[in-house]
Amino acid sequence: MWRVSMRSALAVLAATLALASIALAQQAPDTGQGRLAAPRMAGRGQAPVTARDNDSTVKAIERQLRCTCGCNLDVFTCRTTDFTCATSPAMHRVVVARLDSGMTAAQVIAAFQQQYGEVVLMSPPKHGFNWAAYLMPFVGLFIGLGIVGAVMRGWFRVRPRQPLEGGAPAEAGAAPTASDDEMQRLQRELERFEA
Amino acid sequence: MTDIGNIALWIALLIGSWGSAVAFAAGRSRRADLALSAERSMFVMWGLLVLASAALMQALLAHDFSIEYVAAYTSRNLPVFYTWSAFYAGQKGSLLFWAVVLATFSAAAVLMNRGRYRELMPHVTGVLLVTITFFVAVMVFASNPFEKLGFLPQDGRGLNPQLQNPGMVIHPPMLYLGYIGIAVPFAFAVAALLSGKLDTGWLQAIRRWTIASWLFLSVGVILGMWWAYVELGWGGYWAWDPVENASLMPWLTMTAFLHSVMIQEKRGMLKKWNLGLIIGSFLLSIFGTFITRSGVIASVHSFAQSNVGWFFLGFLVLAGVASFALLAYRWPALAAEARLESMVSREAAFLFNNLIFIVITFSVFWGTLFPVLSEWVRGTKVTVGPPFFNQVNIPLGLLLLFLTGVGPLIAWRQASTANLRRQFLWPVAGMLVAGALLAALRMSDAWAIAAFALAVFVTVTVAQEFVRGTLARHRQYGEAWPLAVVRLVGRNRRRYGGYVVHLGMVMLFVGFAGMAFKSDTEVTLRPGQTTEVRSPYGHVYRFMHQGISQYEQLNRFVSAASLDVYRDGKYLGVMKSEKRQHMDSMGQPTFEPSTEVAIRSDVREDLYIIFAGSVEGTEEAVYRITINPLVWWVWYGGMVLALGGLISMWPTGRAPTPVKRRADLAGYVARVDA
Repeated sequence: MWRVSMRSALAVLAATLALASIALAQQAPDTGQGRLAAPRMAGRGQAPVTARDNDSTVKAIERQLRCTCGCNLDVFTCRTTDFTCATSPAMHRVVVARLDSGMTAAQVIAAFQQQYGEVVLMSPPKHGFNWAAYLMPFVGLFIGLGIVGAVMRGWFRVRPRQPLEGGAPAEAGAAPTASDDEMQRLQRELERFEA
Repeated sequence: MTDIGNIALWIALLIGSWGSAVAFAAGRSRRADLALSAERSMFVMWGLLVLASAALMQALLAHDFSIEYVAAYTSRNLPVFYTWSAFYAGQKGSLLFWAVVLATFSAAAVLMNRGRYRELMPHVTGVLLVTITFFVAVMVFASNPFEKLGFLPQDGRGLNPQLQNPGMVIHPPMLYLGYIGIAVPFAFAVAALLSGKLDTGWLQAIRRWTIASWLFLSVGVILGMWWAYVELGWGGYWAWDPVENASLMPWLTMTAFLHSVMIQEKRGMLKKWNLGLIIGSFLLSIFGTFITRSGVIASVHSFAQSNVGWFFLGFLVLAGVASFALLAYRWPALAAEARLESMVSREAAFLFNNLIFIVITFSVFWGTLFPVLSEWVRGTKVTVGPPFFNQVNIPLGLLLLFLTGVGPLIAWRQASTANLRRQFLWPVAGMLVAGALLAALRMSDAWAIAAFALAVFVTVTVAQEFVRGTLARHRQYGEAWPLAVVRLVGRNRRRYGGYVVHLGMVMLFVGFAGMAFKSDTEVTLRPGQTTEVRSPYGHVYRFMHQGISQYEQLNRFVSAASLDVYRDGKYLGVMKSEKRQHMDSMGQPTFEPSTEVAIRSDVREDLYIIFAGSVEGTEEAVYRITINPLVWWVWYGGMVLALGGLISMWPTGRAPTPVKRRADLAGYVARVDA
């Protein structure tokens, strides 16, 4: 009887231990989820990431919008870099909400522009005076090319015409002469000059 | 000691004013006693500014919080390493740093040229003294680093955590050295214009100064990029911020000068252009300082807004008007000594290269100032950010990369058809094969394909030059291959150093092109949970969140989130990103928590991980995982570029350079004329 009860007790104990270890094993991932000793020291609390946070359309829109906190960064860069800023996450939520309401990307951007003015766009919209921003560098390039071309033409015009091959024309006077030694010296000098 | 520093600044102001006046008087009257007095004023200025700097450093290290600057930028628990960098972390200290470095450079320039360039040196001394005196005046009248508080705080505010980074200890001094170094070539250029000594003598005197300041500026800019990458945590290294642009513009004009000066040295052409480039570079360096300190343009890097910006604007306008008026006055005397003989020549290639440099400088300048212009013209504020600069500058940059390859291939004066065929065959073939290969591999970005193909083109041009030169030495002198390479570079340091710089530029462009394939992913992970991210190369990275640990370290409280990282199933190691809350000496938090990025870099791509924060104070962490292809190439490209610069400026101790020969010839002609 004692043996039987002993066996039963051991079986119960073993079963209890097994159940406890299974329960502990199931709880194992959660042990790491304990609260931090000093949560405030780990920066501003974050909301779990959703699929919309990684949506390529959302990111593309946010890269064209400037965060209005004064940081000079676009909304996507600000909200994924400066985790103390409350403005860029709020703007992100507005972008997502506007897309969810059925607006297209262009309409979302236009809505932001209407709300904050052109300054909210990361580059000037291409209309009116803003075209000057885009065109002037290339206008500068073409003006530069024109000036360089004109200067070069001037240089060529004043350059005395010289035949590339053959002897000197008769009216040009006696052709320059040089000894072999002089020619070799000239060659050496030219090589040094080129180096 | 701080009173001594303050008094030293006041005496420096008086000495500088005296020295500037007598220097220009000496230049005009050619009186040796006045010139000597100006030189001595320079050395005394240097001594006084060193004394003032020592006084500020002593106050910083001794935590003398009665001084406003010390209380604003340091604290008792700030590591000594960063207490040193607090010297130039704030506006007032950085002005003193500018002044003392400029005085050191100026004294060195005067000392190294004693007894030489007798007609130029008094003017050189005058220009440099005026510039130093301007900085001293700004400190004395508007931004004094020795200004005292009316009370004695127990502790200082401490240094901004983002400035507590090794990169920030080196980057600002390097950038300042570059900016300040331009003052010496500028002084020689103005001296040449003032004295009318417009031969190549001034070019000879500034050759190493220009390369040195270009080198410092290059290293400063690249270190700034590195600091932004590892410290700011936005996953990139260049944001086209106005202050970044301000450092790029003088670099562009100096690089243009280093090319065009070769034409003046070899052919006596482009004298006006070169003077204009040096003056422009100096003005752009002052413009950068104006932008950083005036608050006229919004920037993440700006110092606190103050009225010193108006001092700089005034100096900028005066220096610009005076310099260009002088250039206009000497215009007729600056005629070219030779003519361009062919459009297909190295001179023409350098002209186009200069044009592109200047157009890029203009586009950066224009984009930086366009918001101000728009507000003036339309009354509407606009933002000119990376999308604008990338759109405008990528095509121009690729054109420049193309010309980087073309320039060295074309002969001086006039290239023959045979010469062109011989030089261009392999580089063009390499470019076409690379482009076709990348297109066949379905690379999605056309600009990136163009950049990689042009990178191959330039690399082949450089390799071709090295191979041909080495072969020639091997055949002619029977030297072993390694010896032939070393001697080839050693005998033509400027030329082959330049090629090494070109290789560095190629590596930089490869790195820039890689950013076209950057990817960002945000994830939330509980401890033990994993996520997978695919890289542009097709590798699958797996990340397992280990948990968040918190501990105290030096002057901060750290929250560190760790991830186990696997690539294609193979374990790579642990990556740890941190949130740091800095504390003052009484254990109170100072500043907002900052982020320390975890970076794993190799030649192909960087894993760049940021711990954004925890969810509801638990160990569940939010991460941003960024994959940045080819960033490694930017840092190593920067090193190669710096190596090339060092090779170019290393003294040869050999036969006179072409510019020296031209200068000697000019002197000989002058004697014959006399």
